[in-house]
Amino acid sequence: MFNSIKNNPPLIPKPMEEMPHSKLGMDYKEWCKSQKGNHKWRNIRWPVLIFINVLFVISFLLDLSVLEGSLSGSRLIGFYLMDPYNALQMLAISSTTGYIIHLTMNFWIGFITIILIYAMMGGRTYCSWVCPYHFIAELAEKLHDFLVEKKRIKEHAFNRYLRYVFWAGFIVLALLTKNLVFEDINPVGIISRAMIYGPGLLLLWILGLVIFEIVYSKRFWCRYVCPLGTTMGMIGTFAPVTIKFELDKCGFCRDCQTVCLVPHVLWFVQRGKATQEIHYAGADCTRCGLCIDTCAGKALTYTVKGLDKLL
Amino acid sequence: MKKNKTDLNRRQFLKSSAVAVTAMAAIGAGVGLIKKVKGSDTRRQDFLRPPGAISEETFIFGCIKCGLCVQICPVQAIKLAGINEALSYGTPYIDVREQPCDFSCDSLQCVETCPTAVLDFRPFKEEGEKVIDEYYRENDVSDPNFNPFKVQIKAMREAVVMGVAKLNENTCLAIKGEGFKGTPRGENFDGVYRSPGRGRSGGRGQGRGRGRGRGFGGGHRSSNREETKASPLREKIFDREICDLCVTECPIGCKAIMMEESYDNNGNPTYKPKILDGCTGCGVCVMVCPTEQPSIIVEPVNQI
Repeated sequence: MFNSIKNNPPLIPKPMEEMPHSKLGMDYKEWCKSQKGNHKWRNIRWPVLIFINVLFVISFLLDLSVLEGSLSGSRLIGFYLMDPYNALQMLAISSTTGYIIHLTMNFWIGFITIILIYAMMGGRTYCSWVCPYHFIAELAEKLHDFLVEKKRIKEHAFNRYLRYVFWAGFIVLALLTKNLVFEDINPVGIISRAMIYGPGLLLLWILGLVIFEIVYSKRFWCRYVCPLGTTMGMIGTFAPVTIKFELDKCGFCRDCQTVCLVPHVLWFVQRGKATQEIHYAGADCTRCGLCIDTCAGKALTYTVKGLDKLL
Repeated sequence: MKKNKTDLNRRQFLKSSAVAVTAMAAIGAGVGLIKKVKGSDTRRQDFLRPPGAISEETFIFGCIKCGLCVQICPVQAIKLAGINEALSYGTPYIDVREQPCDFSCDSLQCVETCPTAVLDFRPFKEEGEKVIDEYYRENDVSDPNFNPFKVQIKAMREAVVMGVAKLNENTCLAIKGEGFKGTPRGENFDGVYRSPGRGRSGGRGQGRGRGRGRGFGGGHRSSNREETKASPLREKIFDREICDLCVTECPIGCKAIMMEESYDNNGNPTYKPKILDGCTGCGVCVMVCPTEQPSIIVEPVNQI
């Protein structure tokens, strides 16, 4: 769907006098930097992420029964929620062994609720708003960028479709071994359980992963491996909540792509690439809002598809 | 030029895919190897699955490692396995020597809360409904003592089979004819359980336990009294002429364990705790056993 838009003939780039900085009568470089230091959405997102994870911890610590369980499976005031990739692996194995009929109604409620939530919220919202590993990786990413800038290390990029290989591979692996193999190495589950039930030796694996991301490849796990994020992306492909791009406000500085975890979703911000006046970010977008914060022309905004037309 | 670029991309993708597949194959082989070395069944004495656990084969993939059973347990008997348990990492277990399941939640909440039914509630539910029907037939609703829940809870509890207790006859104090005085596991032991108040059972006339504790109005509390809530073992002080703690503190009671009394050739009485069919493997006997190494252990049962 997005590819078809991408392959349309691009719109003719606007002339210099229609660029947003010319309208304001500003120097281009100055204009680009005008939003530097704006961290509005990050300052909302980080507390939300920390709040959700701390809520898990204090629910258990103080016996609050608000958000029980861990990120693999939880109960929010009595309503079950399931990790969808975990559930998919489990469903795959249990459909071959016949265990599937024994699953409780609570499991199905949790599985469907999660799908509905992220089908509304869209893309990989889970990643940037809930996932504790994302938070660590975001900090690691900053360090990585710093080191790249200082030319201490080289950036290594891979093909992003690699994650579909991992996605299918781990399901096949689960079927072959009759074990939830991915859950054993899943940093999300490991960190979540370590925070709630106490740390274990497996945190060394997380440490290794973070170091690898710092010195070798930026956001390696999130971008190229994590099947959970891939599942979330699949669920939220057609979500109404998304990032809207308005071409007439864009100054083509591409700062948004620099800060983006998944820059390919912002393919249209490059000069001469956009094929429509308005574009929406695709399925891989984590809705983190970093691009919104950094955009000098306010060309990028959160939107609810359909609702903006109604109002 | 453009074709070259896509070609390069494709080659790069295939290359990294090959690495990815190899990595996953390595993980798969690793899992297979661990399974071969350790065996898929990791159950042992200190690794007891919570009540209602289904066969280990299904448990290992059915358990999504959420830890809801851990959180709901009022005595915190359930823990999540560490990396030492290899493939069972993150799955729940009970170490009965440290903290057994004493059924003080009354309704097997860990089983009820499990979303994937690897702790299977259906048999307990059926068992409970059966006795409730029976109770309604036999009792009058207008009776002020009418309380079907009590029998339901009891029936559900007795339907649990986590394991079966086994006696080590070489170290058991009762077999040696020795008594026990004091608190079994020392002053710093953290385990708790709900005393069933059966202090005089098993024919031990003089073996009367006395308990000291802060609860219940600050007065003396006898460990022979039935408790409504679990309390620390270290607050309970026993005085038995012949040690019979495993018998008197069993939450199931005479269906699970009894003190067998017989006479030797000289006509002196000898004692031996005898484990019966009703044993649920809850492990309270293991925790209260005063010998340094427990003289009674629970052997896990792998249900099919």
